[in-house]
Amino acid sequence: MKRIEPLNWLFMFISLPLILLLTLPLIKMTFQPSVEMLKETICDKDVVAAIARSISLSFLAGILSFAMGTPLAYLLARKRIIGKRIIEGIIDLPIMIPHPVVGIAILSLAGRNHPIGRFLSDMGIQIMGTKTGIVSVLLFVGLPFYVNTVKAGFESVPVRLENASRTLGAGALSTFVRITFPLTWRHMILGIIMCTARAISEFGAVVIVAYHPMTAPVMIYERFTAYGLKYSQPIAVWLILISFVLFVVLRMMSKSIKH
Amino acid sequence: MIHLKNINLRLPRFSLDDINLRINKRDFFALIGPTGSGKSLLLEGIMGLIGFSSGSLFIENRDYTRLAVERRNLAIVYQDFALFPHLNVTQNIFYGVRYHKIPKPVAQKRFDFLVSSLGLEKITQRSPQNLSGGEKQRVALARSLIFNPSVLLLDEPLSALDPMFHEEAKLLLKKIHDELETTIIMVSHNFSDVLYLANRGAIIRNGQILQQDDIITIFERPNSKFTASFVGMKNIHPIQVHDKTLIVPDKKTKISCAHTPGDTDQYMGIRPEDISFIDINSNHYGNQYSGRITKISSNGVFLNISLDTGDHCFEAIWSRRRIQDHGLEVGKTLEFGFLPESVHTF
Repeated sequence: MKRIEPLNWLFMFISLPLILLLTLPLIKMTFQPSVEMLKETICDKDVVAAIARSISLSFLAGILSFAMGTPLAYLLARKRIIGKRIIEGIIDLPIMIPHPVVGIAILSLAGRNHPIGRFLSDMGIQIMGTKTGIVSVLLFVGLPFYVNTVKAGFESVPVRLENASRTLGAGALSTFVRITFPLTWRHMILGIIMCTARAISEFGAVVIVAYHPMTAPVMIYERFTAYGLKYSQPIAVWLILISFVLFVVLRMMSKSIKH
Repeated sequence: MIHLKNINLRLPRFSLDDINLRINKRDFFALIGPTGSGKSLLLEGIMGLIGFSSGSLFIENRDYTRLAVERRNLAIVYQDFALFPHLNVTQNIFYGVRYHKIPKPVAQKRFDFLVSSLGLEKITQRSPQNLSGGEKQRVALARSLIFNPSVLLLDEPLSALDPMFHEEAKLLLKKIHDELETTIIMVSHNFSDVLYLANRGAIIRNGQILQQDDIITIFERPNSKFTASFVGMKNIHPIQVHDKTLIVPDKKTKISCAHTPGDTDQYMGIRPEDISFIDINSNHYGNQYSGRITKISSNGVFLNISLDTGDHCFEAIWSRRRIQDHGLEVGKTLEFGFLPESVHTF
């Protein structure tokens, strides 16, 4: 049997409280509501709609981050851009700033007092209290997770492979499609999962931009303030369970797809 | 055929300065220099992966200076071979075919020829990760040669290989050049590889070309102290010239030379392997001395011997067998010599 180093025992001992801190409250909450309560909650059309809305809009934010964040991640990984460090800092900003501030910032831009807000309004696009507003906010908070994951993916592909492709006659786009993309798509899937996961959990920014239509975190907060812990917990349990199953399936899919 | 004219390339911490090179069709041309001399940079510039700051590149009288890399019809084989890890050997070899508008039957014929002549028959379905260094190199060569490039560029093709594959790869490169008559530009820092493979070459140092000529000429008549040292010459000293006799200042040693040194020649050099141990009375060497062994150090199969005549110190390379047979050791005095033809001036 392989001997475990004393240092590893020490590290495991230090890590244990952290694991417990992460898992105990969730386990406690998951087993708190009765089966009857869980059944009743999942039969509630409003709850199902809120969870479905949370997941679908978060996934849409993940897809948008793939479409818009991939070129940005590529530029940051491959090109020498003036102010690259500043751009990287800006991308990380949503991780640092309080999320209600994100909501307020987006609203101030989308209001009638701002030219962008007026332009969007003239185009028939509403941010306040709409799904568009929710997706904007979710994209804002989830984008750093996508860009940073995919940037690391691009950095892991040697530039020499792209150069070799160019010397064999392939253009820049062809090289991206035939070399860079096949070697980084797993990072993109992981980035979408990270962005979607972050978006599902978002509350602070969403509640300011769109209390309605209600997402699951907003509904959990509403039930908690109006009816107390007992009525908010089952929704949280269902959100955690569904999200967990979804992400496990996505990860398994991304691993099982052969090159 | 290939003409680099007044090429300059400025980077933040390095530059190529006023490079002028002429490479003939079907040449096996070697760019030789130490690490960091700019030889790989020049290769990437020829390939079009880096733009030159000024100057021009002509290949068969066509201006390539601003031509996009993918339109140059040149091919490069990197030191690490840069095989695409997500494609198998066959897919790697066929990668460039579609961009060169080669009809499928023609491409298939070339593929079959290359697979057979490079001995890749058994590994066509393998992934690059499961190949040895030698196999990777042969796949990279096949991938480049399938579209019949006008010039094949090789970036240190032998330095990443195990000694076991090194000789095999040298023979293969020679065979490719001889049979396909491809123009090859090879970057190397190993002069013995270059001596075997190339017919012409250039010595590059700190981004400047020091000498370009036939390889044999560079080997026998280096034009600078650096080149002489780089091509394996030792015993390099400043000289005073009196007809065909050279005097090493301060050392008072007189050395006979077979040729009359040029007016600009300031140094002489003798290859250590040209200095012979004399075990019987003989004066046919022209330059003959008695000296004491001051140092013996290992040089792999051979040994480096330092010989002190009292006025001058010479460095020789002899086999271990010769040292053992004659019981040579540090402190022992012996006769040694070298031919006037072995004395090079520059």
